[in-house]
Amino acid sequence: MSEVLGAPVAIGGLPATGDVRRKRRRFRTREITPMGFLMLVALIYLFIMVTFVLATLRSQASLLSQGAFGPLSLGRLRFDWLQLKGFSDGIYFTWLKNSAYLSFGGAVIAVLVALPAGYALAMLHFRGRRVLLFLTILTMVMPNTVLVIPLFLEVSAVHQVDVLWPVAVIMGFFPFGTYLSFVHYRTTLPYEMLEAGRIDGVSEMGLFWRVATPLAKQAVALVFFFAFVADWTNYFLPLVMLPTSAAQTVSVGLQELITSSQLFNASAAAGLNVQLYMPELAFAAVLQMLPVLAVFVGAQRYLQRGAMLGSVKG
Amino acid sequence: MPEGPRPKSHPRRKATVITGRQGHGGLVLLMPYVVLLLIVGIIPAGYAIYQSFLARSGSGFGGLSAYHDVVTEFQFVGSLENIGLVMAVWLPFMIIGVVGLALLLHGRRSRLVGGLRFIYYLPGALAGMGNFVLWLFLLDPVDSPIRPLLSWLGYSTLDQTAEPAHLPVIFALMLFFQGAGTWILIIYGGLNGISDEVQEAAIVDGATGWQLTRRIKLPLIRPWIAYLILLNIAYATQLFLEPQVLGLATEGTISPQWTPNQLSYTFAFQIFDVPAAAALSVMLLLVSLVIGVIITTRTGLFSDR
Repeated sequence: MSEVLGAPVAIGGLPATGDVRRKRRRFRTREITPMGFLMLVALIYLFIMVTFVLATLRSQASLLSQGAFGPLSLGRLRFDWLQLKGFSDGIYFTWLKNSAYLSFGGAVIAVLVALPAGYALAMLHFRGRRVLLFLTILTMVMPNTVLVIPLFLEVSAVHQVDVLWPVAVIMGFFPFGTYLSFVHYRTTLPYEMLEAGRIDGVSEMGLFWRVATPLAKQAVALVFFFAFVADWTNYFLPLVMLPTSAAQTVSVGLQELITSSQLFNASAAAGLNVQLYMPELAFAAVLQMLPVLAVFVGAQRYLQRGAMLGSVKG
Repeated sequence: MPEGPRPKSHPRRKATVITGRQGHGGLVLLMPYVVLLLIVGIIPAGYAIYQSFLARSGSGFGGLSAYHDVVTEFQFVGSLENIGLVMAVWLPFMIIGVVGLALLLHGRRSRLVGGLRFIYYLPGALAGMGNFVLWLFLLDPVDSPIRPLLSWLGYSTLDQTAEPAHLPVIFALMLFFQGAGTWILIIYGGLNGISDEVQEAAIVDGATGWQLTRRIKLPLIRPWIAYLILLNIAYATQLFLEPQVLGLATEGTISPQWTPNQLSYTFAFQIFDVPAAAALSVMLLLVSLVIGVIITTRTGLFSDR
């Protein structure tokens, strides 16, 4: 479950960096216990993530015999890489390519669709506005797995199963993005500015172009980021829509690696020409996380401000 | 209302000059979104409802026979029990863990707070299959970094760690790990919405930290907690990836129809009983729809003002 979805956005409630808390208090032991607990949880998190990432630099033998920490070698990365390349003629990299196509395509469509819609919902009057906003919030808070089977029935009715672009279009429907854009324009665009433009005779499309898009930077970054991560980590939709292995995304492909691994399926793995033990599986998993991390770093400064506005569910 | 009362005379209200031109411009801006909403939301839902009333043979009206097939399928009740068990473990864990951590973070001014929030959030950005492989690494005693813990518990193979009785706890842990960080941000955002004056007044009145939390903070973030609970119930009913892939990795100890979504998947792709798959999807859709309507209309978090 990896849906990115809507979170309440407290329009008026920006952080209260209160004077209450600003007053310096003397250090008390009472303060140490909660902080200690917070640190303990963080340490457990770090332990889990660090040992996992380091597994890519270790051999299976070391994992078996030395536990959580053992000798690391950068040469292992090359070995892991070769195993992945050797698995089914490097199909892993086809999966990566498919994921990139879908996530990038889906996120671009999401931005192009959500931004004008969010703007219109926030700034324009039209019949059905309230209904559309309600539907947006409703679809945003529903898990995105809920329509996968119905979508499959629809797509197979028009014989487009195993085709990438319909999946990108489906991913382009991103109501959370519309809601984010809606809140963004509600909070940043003064209505008077539009009124002034209208009096000057600027068309509605012209207003959107000249007034709304220059202000859109943060909304674009947020919508793109959340859509990209949601699409990249989506599992159920591509699993169902793209049954052929060569059309799969890396998220579903990892499942194929697991079921082909010597660790989890000795009989099927007997004919395998590469080693797929935990270091290789971890390498495949970590490698496919890098694009998400890159987008995360790229959107970081917008995210911090976005987290002030509301929040996210990843 | 966490946002506090807003002035009734919002500029948007009084400047209500609905021109035809504005409506037209709005139409162009909204068109792509509305088209997608139809193609990706409403039409497939309607088509699934239609399919669910077909006869199993694939043609002709079948009435409620597909629904009957689903409800009498022997895995159906079991899959509901399974997600009930997951919820029983996961929801309390999530509520106490997330709200607790957010409250602990909120009172603190330490520079570490930002870093801690980031660490909690990190697994969320690496969700889905990546998180699953990580947990496979943790849970398989063969190469787990927590092998001492697992062997102390008496597990020496993955099948033992992931035996069916353990699944609710395992899934609760997996989902907490990948989801809690972002929920902490949400609850934290809610806590930030509490006005300073209220907290100051309470402190002037002699409230201790605990009283401040229990009497002021918790009641004021109730809508966010309700949101957390409702959305996670909706998630639990949709569980698919974790039981599906863990089932594949353990080779047979976990039923391939462990959750309703897996059952729906089986109907569609193994039994090729499309009406039954559609019927089950429609039932699950209704559950999420009801939860969604409650969140949208009752929590007050998404008011259009």
